[in-house]
Amino acid sequence: MKKTPRFLFALFLAKIALITQRILKMNASYFPGKLAITLCPDFLGRIDKPETIIGVTGTNGKTTCCNLIIDALTDLGYDVLNNRFGSNINAGVASSLISGSTLFGKAKKEIAVFEIDERSSVRIYPYVKPTFLLCTNLFRDSIRRNAHSEYILDIISKYVPETTKLVLNADDLVSSRIAPGNERVYFGIERMETDLPESINIVNDMRLCPVCNSELKYDFVRYHHIGRAHCPNCSFSSPKPDYLAKADFENLTLTMTRGLESTQFKLINDSIFNAYNLTAVVALLEQFGIEAKKLSDILSNQKIVETRFSEEKIGDIEVISNMAKGQNPIACSCVFDYVKRAEGTKEVILLLDDVHDNAASSENICWIYDADFEFLGDESIKRIIIGGVRAIDYKVRLEIAGVDESKIICIDKESDTPDAVRWDADKIYVLHELYRNDEALAVRDEIKRRLRERTGGNA
Amino acid sequence: MTVEFLYPALANLYGEAVEMKYIEQCLPDATVVKTKVNDEPYFAKNDVDFIYMGPMTERGQEIVIEKLSPYKERIIELIEAGKVFLIIGNALEIFGDYIETDEGEKIKALGIFGTYAKRKMMKRYNSLYFGKFDEMKIVGFKAQFSHSYGESEDEGLFENIRGDGLHPGSRFEGIRRNNFFATYLLGPLLILNPDFTKYLLSLLGIENAALPCENDIRTAYEKRLKEFENPNKEYLG
Repeated sequence: MKKTPRFLFALFLAKIALITQRILKMNASYFPGKLAITLCPDFLGRIDKPETIIGVTGTNGKTTCCNLIIDALTDLGYDVLNNRFGSNINAGVASSLISGSTLFGKAKKEIAVFEIDERSSVRIYPYVKPTFLLCTNLFRDSIRRNAHSEYILDIISKYVPETTKLVLNADDLVSSRIAPGNERVYFGIERMETDLPESINIVNDMRLCPVCNSELKYDFVRYHHIGRAHCPNCSFSSPKPDYLAKADFENLTLTMTRGLESTQFKLINDSIFNAYNLTAVVALLEQFGIEAKKLSDILSNQKIVETRFSEEKIGDIEVISNMAKGQNPIACSCVFDYVKRAEGTKEVILLLDDVHDNAASSENICWIYDADFEFLGDESIKRIIIGGVRAIDYKVRLEIAGVDESKIICIDKESDTPDAVRWDADKIYVLHELYRNDEALAVRDEIKRRLRERTGGNA
Repeated sequence: MTVEFLYPALANLYGEAVEMKYIEQCLPDATVVKTKVNDEPYFAKNDVDFIYMGPMTERGQEIVIEKLSPYKERIIELIEAGKVFLIIGNALEIFGDYIETDEGEKIKALGIFGTYAKRKMMKRYNSLYFGKFDEMKIVGFKAQFSHSYGESEDEGLFENIRGDGLHPGSRFEGIRRNNFFATYLLGPLLILNPDFTKYLLSLLGIENAALPCENDIRTAYEKRLKEFENPNKEYLG
């Protein structure tokens, strides 16, 4: 597309906005792009792009995968344009391209890695055509925005460019079906001891064969619809992975096999989600042209951002904060399952209210009925302390899940939740919504402070 | 008492799997039949007291229309006989005349009611809803791609107090004929509205039932009611 005077004018003003926001130490990841698209609606099509674009999309894990890819490429000496500190919708991608372009809209870098919101496919892919697109998985997400996983599958399939090579999860029967005409490779994780014959989650969006509507037969289920299945009545089945990983949570290793070659990676913890993220990233980077062997050391040094997960033992008690992404029932279910499986007794603090909804409106809480609060009924969990405006709704949900009412404590103000901790469990979990980081980390720190006080400051 | 959940593997979006679980908790002595997509509905040849169906994908709607079409007359017979139906979300559209897609294609539905739905797949509609059922105040959420039109006002389920009904401009949300209740409202409806749940149970012959977790459900209902009655709260968005 030509660089029209309108485009150049939009780019010029967006550059000024970008510089001004940076001078004012404001986050310049959304507004400059938004301004440019408002002034020139096809701005994304007119600005030059780096030669190679890696897109990362999917319901869960895209931020982690993006960070791993950017870090690995940077360590290997590549200069990568990215939107890691900004928005993953069209305005965020535009802001990133603006910051990586000259005054005349020429790209200054050769490689870009963009996290792309699934729902924004419509506004991004007609203009920004990824060379590779990694889709981590597709699940139910925000009821208000994303409706259901089939809807998102259809949107991505419709808009992803035909030339984009897809890197897909073979163990996910939803996302593995994206754009069947596109070239693709699949990654997957070998069968594990903890796999189940059937889903125990409330939500499994792949119960029926998408070809003939017969009930699918699962060879194994890992969580929700993640696993491998086939249709007993037609030829439909999970695709065969090109990259197959073996996760060993006892020794915290992941062995990745492609063809005859195997490479070992270090896992940062025993979460299956991190194992999938790492597998996905290795597959993507191999497709980009980097041998798995070269990635082993680089990716073994990965760290989880502290706002997403942290743990510290003070005296005899471990304090763990874990992001549980509110309005995302699958992310919450997975975190609840992880807490349930953890060793020892636990007190759990839930801070899951949506900040924006409850300020202006009243949060649509349907999503909590898609999340497996049943996992929190495990006998290892001694107490569940719920903070926030919607505390009573969570209490109802927990009661319907069969959790003993006497274990549930509702507190209106999030910051008061440490008052209800009784310090009688091995672990205290603070499970919090993405946009409640500051409050949640303040709660976590207050718990740590009181714990240090209780241990006489010796810990 | 026999309860039939129609196609729970398919019709369970937006928290409705737990609505079914809650119905089971409310009716601990009932026989619950969970009909699979390729099975004949239990109601086809048997007596049932309560039929429930939840929201589904758009592709799911087409499958269900195909599966239920042979039983249209039987469904009408059950509605006329006063059997209780609770139909949630876009399952409501299956009982109307047709569903019109973005491309203008009309998918023929069961045609039991004269309503028709129009889908706009790139325009998700989200709202709070506050209405009345007799003297009961009803609260719920809407998150949908379509609205239904062509309704008969004699068959409106909830009278709007605030928020849109079957379509923007409609005075009513949902469809009611005898004991057939269909509504776009999500919540889940029965967990959010204890009085309506008790009313529904009374239609099944259970008077003054104590609901599971009733105290907390009622506290949550009253809190939500206050929020929904607050004129400063935004409904759309």
